Amino acid sequence: MPHAVKRTERDTGAFGESILLIGPGAALLIGAFLFPVGQILVLSIVPAEEGLSIWANFARFFEDDYYLRVAWRTFRLSVIITLVTAMIGFPLAYVVARTPRLVGYTLLLLTVLPLMTSVVVRTFGWIIALGRGGPVADLLSLTGLGARDATLLHTETGIVIAMVQVLLPFMTLTTLGVISTIHPHLEEASRTMGAGFYRTLRHVVLPLSVPGLVSGSLLVFALSISSFVTPNLVGGVRLPVMAGAIYQQATSTLDWNFAAAQSTLLLAAVLGLLIPYLALTRRRHG
Amino acid sequence: MTHLSKGALVAVAASLLAGTAMAQETFVINSFGGAYEEAHRRLVIEPFEQMYNVEVEVVTAYSADALAQLRAQAGNPQFDVIHFSGGQEITAAAEGLLAPIMPDQLSNYDQLYPFAVEGLEQGQGPVYSVAVLGLLSDGDTAPTSWDDLFSAANGEDVAIADITNTYGLLTLLMLNQVRGGTLDDIQPGLDAVMELLDNGAQILSSSPEFQQAFAQDATSLAAYAQDYAYTLQQAGLPIDFVQPAEGSPGIYITANVVAGRPNEELARAFVDMSISAAVQAGWAEALRYSPTNSTVELPVDLAGQVVYGEEAAANLVRFDPVVVNAQRSDWTDAWNRAIAQ
Repeated sequence: MPHAVKRTERDTGAFGESILLIGPGAALLIGAFLFPVGQILVLSIVPAEEGLSIWANFARFFEDDYYLRVAWRTFRLSVIITLVTAMIGFPLAYVVARTPRLVGYTLLLLTVLPLMTSVVVRTFGWIIALGRGGPVADLLSLTGLGARDATLLHTETGIVIAMVQVLLPFMTLTTLGVISTIHPHLEEASRTMGAGFYRTLRHVVLPLSVPGLVSGSLLVFALSISSFVTPNLVGGVRLPVMAGAIYQQATSTLDWNFAAAQSTLLLAAVLGLLIPYLALTRRRHG
Repeated sequence: MTHLSKGALVAVAASLLAGTAMAQETFVINSFGGAYEEAHRRLVIEPFEQMYNVEVEVVTAYSADALAQLRAQAGNPQFDVIHFSGGQEITAAAEGLLAPIMPDQLSNYDQLYPFAVEGLEQGQGPVYSVAVLGLLSDGDTAPTSWDDLFSAANGEDVAIADITNTYGLLTLLMLNQVRGGTLDDIQPGLDAVMELLDNGAQILSSSPEFQQAFAQDATSLAAYAQDYAYTLQQAGLPIDFVQPAEGSPGIYITANVVAGRPNEELARAFVDMSISAAVQAGWAEALRYSPTNSTVELPVDLAGQVVYGEEAAANLVRFDPVVVNAQRSDWTDAWNRAIAQ
């Protein structure tokens, strides 16, 4: 009990400092995030015509086969992108963590580099690479896997490839953070006990990396479900995703209430994943 | 007093005088930014400033924005001349935001093609240039008709613009007209677009995507803008522009006098200068916009790159902008549903 009292006193002493430290961040969060999101929430329940219920904009979404298909594509692609990113990101993070520093850093730099390019420039690169007559089509025809004028542009595969490239750093960096805290002695012990390289990876490193993989996956999923520049340019207008549909409603058809309702649903989907995760990790790490 | 300080005094006095003059005569117009605004300054704004000894302030605002600003300023307008490219002059005139121009107030009135001054009676300004939609071909084919989009040897070589791009909207409406549809029923147009897509055609959203598609040989035939064909040629691509036999829809760019400003006469002078043959020839030369002034004289090579001459100009198709504006979001929705995979 005396211990607890002492701790409270110390906390109170630091209260002013805490406020000072948290102030700028909180102000930014409230002004640039909570306020506009609040506006969107309000907009989303304002019906397009008088006399309709506050759920009218949401009902319109769920009653319409078109929007459901758009939502399904967005969700499905985000899951695929997250899985592919994890499958590439985990081994990559492991290699970066366990190779000599210079090799590891070079690999890391190559992974992070795409983040330093403008999204539009990078996406135009993919348009050229994936388009008919582009290098990917050349490669496919050389290896006999596809025709010369095969194209991945305006396909879901193209969207996945371009998205994985840009989201890979998020997965690699979060997983790397966890893997570097795993002591190499654990792997050595496993190897000494007769487990091979892959068995050690599978039964020692992978389970211990789960927290990093999970937070990386959440990050990647949240980013891919809400992205629209890359899906719109690489996927084209015939493969609409939710963020693109919202953008179009906000700028072209000027249906702000319906756009706000869709944004709210998208936000709810991300929160629906994030909150159980936070609750879960809190219980585990207490 | 040294020579230098005397000079400085004169400069100060001059700048003070200029300041007073500017306060009295601030003349505000909008332009569309980028290369357009650059040419606009060179062709109209700077010569106008010199001729009338007035300072012109240019606000970069696209048509929809410009109309929104004009509406917001209704009680206290801040523009003297406003340029529109999306039919906004019809709405603006109907709402009383524009000052009507009488034919005898424009010295160049008689030189304009009839379609360019049609709107004057409704209180709109004249059309001073037209951006034309037609067929861009890389030379493998020699299209002559909108039907050639459907008969391309390889359907995958065909590209059209998305409806969120004005040229995509005009493509839909033009195909609709060719297939017997009207503005009350665009189903024939949507069916035509679906036929193109079933053949393998691509839909692109932005100008750079067209350039990329032509550069990589992913496209050999596209429905797009004549001025952009020129941009592609400048980039070294062998692109021909064809105005199909059934006619070409265009984007009509108008210069309008804003109501309720102190210097309407000066604003009319600006509009008059904008429609003059010299200025319109300049637009054709700089960016390949088609003239609406019948006395514009262009060299042969240039004439082939714009819609030039009375006969060609008569071939321009204009869809009722009032209906288009009212229907646009419904059409966008129908288009999105039709093309989504």
